Amino acid sequence: MMTLHGVDVFIRTPEIPDLPKNHGPFELILISNRGSRVYPPPAPAMELSDWQQCRFLSNEVVSDSQIDELVQHLSGLGWQWTKCQKLFKIDGDNAFSQPY
Amino acid sequence: MAHKVCLIRGDGVGPELVAGVEVIFKAAKVDIDWIDVDAGLKCVEAGKPIVPEETVAKIKEIGVGLKAPMTTPIGKGSVSPNVTLRKKLDLYACVRPVRSLPGIKTPFDGLDIVIFRENTEDLYTQIEYMATETVAHSVKIISEQASEQIIRAAFEYARANGRKKVVGVHKANIMKIGDGLFLRTFKRVSAEYPDIESWDNIVDNQCMQLVTKWKLYDVLVMPNLYGDIVSDLAAGMMGGLGVAPGANYGKNCALFEAVHGSAPKYTGMNKVNPTALLLSGTLMLDHLGEHAARVNIEGALEATLSKGIKTYDLGGTATTSGFADAVASEMRG
Repeated sequence: MMTLHGVDVFIRTPEIPDLPKNHGPFELILISNRGSRVYPPPAPAMELSDWQQCRFLSNEVVSDSQIDELVQHLSGLGWQWTKCQKLFKIDGDNAFSQPY
Repeated sequence: MAHKVCLIRGDGVGPELVAGVEVIFKAAKVDIDWIDVDAGLKCVEAGKPIVPEETVAKIKEIGVGLKAPMTTPIGKGSVSPNVTLRKKLDLYACVRPVRSLPGIKTPFDGLDIVIFRENTEDLYTQIEYMATETVAHSVKIISEQASEQIIRAAFEYARANGRKKVVGVHKANIMKIGDGLFLRTFKRVSAEYPDIESWDNIVDNQCMQLVTKWKLYDVLVMPNLYGDIVSDLAAGMMGGLGVAPGANYGKNCALFEAVHGSAPKYTGMNKVNPTALLLSGTLMLDHLGEHAARVNIEGALEATLSKGIKTYDLGGTATTSGFADAVASEMRG
């Protein structure tokens, strides 16, 4: 069974964004840049692109409206997102990859 | 003064290959202060990350490393130590020189090509999702900055090493956005190097041309996935992964590696060819400014192969240590 647990919000910014660590049922688990984890530290000494993959995840099953509310909250804080990808589990296993 | 070099002895046959290289370097009287650092399967078995942070920190501090093959554990959540090192050290350029060696008969006489593979992005970002229960979605990232970095590295290498031609390899006829960005960047950067002849090829055509018109090519530069595939094709043209060297360069450090696996089934059998690691080591000597030592060692290697002394993968009967001793005995001076 496929259940919804979070969202990757891809934010356009050249720096590692200072995002809320928690919002509603979600926790900011990580930020990665071109597949390399840059948050939590330590970040590799790499050239950053201006596209940050920001992963918000919940241990609980969440709803579409909770995802919508989180993304609207980030927009309200002034972050410009260019892509969102829902994060599912299938039969309890993560159906998404982990960055290095 | 001795050159400090971090050494990863690796898994499987790795330590045997390193021992062979050490014998040859000693015979060449290269003054290396090897600093052992841990990574690979033994770290995982000890409950540590496959590449511990202290290993990454030490390589960053020293700036140069030589790495024997490591094993990627099979199973959910396991990560490749090689990809981990490339990412954590931001080693953006994977460089694979392939050339014909005396005594190794292949259909590709006169092969002499250097492949520059972008090392940090493309599908290797491994950003993947199940979009539904039956549809998977992998994200391919091509950035202008990473493309420019590797393309410029290829042209600078060509200019510094007397190479005449650089070809950009892509699939922009299909992936018009991602590979299109790589191709546009290639055309923009190449205009800055009018002394180097350059053109672009679609990757499938490039593979066909490599095996039919290999003498036409000099330096190739391409995104990560094509580089992975084409460099192994080229390694086969050279004589196999047992002889193909590899180097990974970043802005602040460089890591040299044999590109083949750790061959666990041959562990302890003193059987596997040390040439790939040895030639990776001679690339490292060049990086350290030890050009004479590189020429000396590669000359000894070619003399050994010319005498028909080969390991099993090349149809010979020499052991790892026997082959290394034979190369060491050919050293001049």
